[in-house]
Amino acid sequence: MNILLYGATELGYMLAQRLCQEHSLTLIDDLKRLPDKFNNLDLSFVSGSGADIDALEQANMNECELFIACSTLDEANIVSCWTVKKIVDLETICFIRTMELYKNLSSKKLDRYLTRYDIDTLVWPELLLTQDIFRIISVPNAIDVEYFAEGRAKLFEYRIDEHSSLRGQLIMECSFPPNVLIVGITREQNLFIPDGSTVIHKDDKVIFMGTDSALDTLAATIFKSNNVIKTAVLIGGGSVGFMLAQRLERTGIRVKIIEHDKARCEFLADNLKKSLILHGDGTDLELLEGEGVDDADVVVCITNNDEKNLLCSLLVKQLEPTRRIITRVNNLRTGQLFERVGIDVTVSSRDSAIKELLNRVQARNVDILALVEGGQGEVLRLTLPENFQKTRVVDLDFKVQAIIGIIKRGRKLTIPNGGSILEAGDQLKIFTMAEDAETVKNFFS
Amino acid sequence: MKLNNILNALGIILVAFGTILLTPIVVALIEQEYTSVLPFITASLTSIALGFLFQHYGGFSRNFDNLKRNEGLLIVSLAWVVTAAMGAIPYLFYGLSPLDAYFESVSGITTTGATILVDFSLYPKDFFFWRSLSQWLGGMGIIVLFVAILPQFAVAGRQIFFAEAPGPTEEKVTPRITHTAKALWLVYILLTVLEIAFLFAAGMPLFDSICNAFTTMAAGGFSPNPLSIMGYESSRITWIVTCFMFLAGSNFALQYRLLIQGKPRPLLQNEEFRFYGIIVVVVSSCLCISLLLDGTTTAIHAVRDSLFQIVSLITTTGFSSADFALWSVSAQTILLTMMLIGGCAGSAGGGVKVIRVLFGFKYLKREITQIIHPQAILPIKIDHKPVAQDTQSQIVGFLFFYILLMTVSAILVTIIEGDASIGLVGTAATIGNIGPGYGDIGPMGSFGGLSVLTKVIFIINMIVGRLELIPFLAMLHPDFWKFRK
Repeated sequence: MNILLYGATELGYMLAQRLCQEHSLTLIDDLKRLPDKFNNLDLSFVSGSGADIDALEQANMNECELFIACSTLDEANIVSCWTVKKIVDLETICFIRTMELYKNLSSKKLDRYLTRYDIDTLVWPELLLTQDIFRIISVPNAIDVEYFAEGRAKLFEYRIDEHSSLRGQLIMECSFPPNVLIVGITREQNLFIPDGSTVIHKDDKVIFMGTDSALDTLAATIFKSNNVIKTAVLIGGGSVGFMLAQRLERTGIRVKIIEHDKARCEFLADNLKKSLILHGDGTDLELLEGEGVDDADVVVCITNNDEKNLLCSLLVKQLEPTRRIITRVNNLRTGQLFERVGIDVTVSSRDSAIKELLNRVQARNVDILALVEGGQGEVLRLTLPENFQKTRVVDLDFKVQAIIGIIKRGRKLTIPNGGSILEAGDQLKIFTMAEDAETVKNFFS
Repeated sequence: MKLNNILNALGIILVAFGTILLTPIVVALIEQEYTSVLPFITASLTSIALGFLFQHYGGFSRNFDNLKRNEGLLIVSLAWVVTAAMGAIPYLFYGLSPLDAYFESVSGITTTGATILVDFSLYPKDFFFWRSLSQWLGGMGIIVLFVAILPQFAVAGRQIFFAEAPGPTEEKVTPRITHTAKALWLVYILLTVLEIAFLFAAGMPLFDSICNAFTTMAAGGFSPNPLSIMGYESSRITWIVTCFMFLAGSNFALQYRLLIQGKPRPLLQNEEFRFYGIIVVVVSSCLCISLLLDGTTTAIHAVRDSLFQIVSLITTTGFSSADFALWSVSAQTILLTMMLIGGCAGSAGGGVKVIRVLFGFKYLKREITQIIHPQAILPIKIDHKPVAQDTQSQIVGFLFFYILLMTVSAILVTIIEGDASIGLVGTAATIGNIGPGYGDIGPMGSFGGLSVLTKVIFIINMIVGRLELIPFLAMLHPDFWKFRK
């Protein structure tokens, strides 16, 4: 597929990195501002702005099938998407960074208006990030949470601590509820897909997949926690903090937000119903102690500065080592650093955005439902073709690391074992390593 | 300040008010009280003549486009003073001394309902009709009335409309001020007519129905019956009056949305209205318990009277369904706290207003939270909207001045009368435009026996309280009085 990408931003780089192996990519942006790292990628450049029709013409737009606008300017992104649409009929994906514009463009009221905004997919990374954080907060102790099939199936990730009943056990000997599978384990930052003879160690991060009720039982029995989330502290009151506070308020959680910008504090205080807004710096130890941040059930560090997030998280960890901390990471490399120093849950708006975007770019019958461990693992959704012969799961040989997590036939969800039979038309949710995803896709088609 | 503008505006108001003063004559003719025609014709002619005289000196100008803020405030204040004086003229014909007549008239037009009358049997029906009518006119606000009916005030209306009712919320039903004034009067008239119908159906004579409905909707409290609502000895009437007093004490703009536009949500979701409802329910339950503990009344009467009396005092009406001056001290204390609250903003009720009390509580809560969380940003929100900083300081200032004024007046009256209860309760009752107090000035008593100085202080209290202090406070500044040509 020919893809046109506008915006040599950090996000643009990550997209290009993922896409340039399979697709032919053209990047539009001012060449002078182009970071060096783009030179290592196999793609072609056009100098100019995406909102400039000459630059677009130069980029051979007519042969493209997809246009992605992810520059730093929202308005330029929107205009470029419109411009492209005016000239050729191709799919457009537009990245947005501000709430007002997102609301304008995505409002449900749009259908009533005279003219629609002509953008196929609108991606606001911070909204996706908010949804991710909210999901993780809602399951106590979990490090990662994903929902599939309207929440009827889930993925939970837990860290095994000293007292866990699973520690030191073989997977085949573990007694967890039926309809739950261990699909992956991360040990020392490396994700792998275990088999029955794998032993679970302390500090392993174990990924479970299963049906909704089975995973809830798992959470209640093996990873039981007596602290229901009642209070949350958000450090950073940007868009993510604001939207997250709104959601948490709705579920009855008491929220405190620490924000250093006075004007923003006033905005938050005026627009949130119950949250307590504190004007101060998240790295101010006196403030953190005085406001009882260490007593909160969960602390979320979501400023737009990685170093500050790290510092805040470490300070809170210092005050209360067992406290649950969710930290936002913008830069992928610092993300790995975070885990080294013991910060469990890191989230990133880019990861959230890339997941959303890859879904669009992939072929119609394959979707990426979730990325885990910073993209090391993927949950794929694919549908078995018409000519697929009935096969037992044990007889499949992927030749790579992959595990079928859920089989969906009609409305029915099955968590397979070796004896389960696959039929044409079944929808599978497969957990696999990112580098093997292509092989798995080819295997079934 | 331009003297011409003020004279012209007052002149126009006086001419209009003089015309209204003719209406009691209709009643006099129907009731065949021909002796009552003369007082009202005299008053009417005086008012109209004075009106033209003012306009003559003002040059008959109709141009109020450049009305300044202080001019607006002065017009409003003087309008109340002068119309009260015109309204007092008929009383002179019934043997009242000039000061008593003026007291009764001010008490009427400011919807206070404090009376100097002792023996009600001495006066004809027309006299009582005028008392009630003057309250009804004052209930929605003299200025709101003239902005609604006089096209001359189209442009200047805004300035004087808000000078009269300087509540913290600028509630407008429609973008144009004359439309808003008309809309408010429409609701007012509609509710009055409804109440007349209900009272008449409940067995009250038509004349009494009209008079009582006028004073209920105005949150005034004059009744042609010397024993107030208690005199009708009917539970049904008591309940009807309770309901309409409650409505008179809530925001008319929101009632307009409910009654005329059919939108109940703005009223029901209004935080002030909810708070008002909660206060009425909670405090009347307390009062009810207190009455039952005293053991002087039956349960059903305790419920009826406590609810009636709480609504009557919180809306600043001042009707009584029982002689609360005879109740126990604990019950009277509960009633006194109600006197300090008053109706909702944009209602016929006077007093501090529920919204300011609500704000006061939120302000206190904010200050307490701030002690525990020194770095917290805590806006004060009413109806989920933050209250602007200047509005906040205005309300705090208002509350402070209200207390200050009450203290000064209470001290002075206590010294003059040698009675602390008259000093304190009388002040609260007049400044809040409620009416009766306790003791000699209780619901069955009269203000007539007070000394001249006390009456003067109470007259000032009533007008200042009715104008919600701000015009009065503005007048204390020397710059207010700079006149220009």
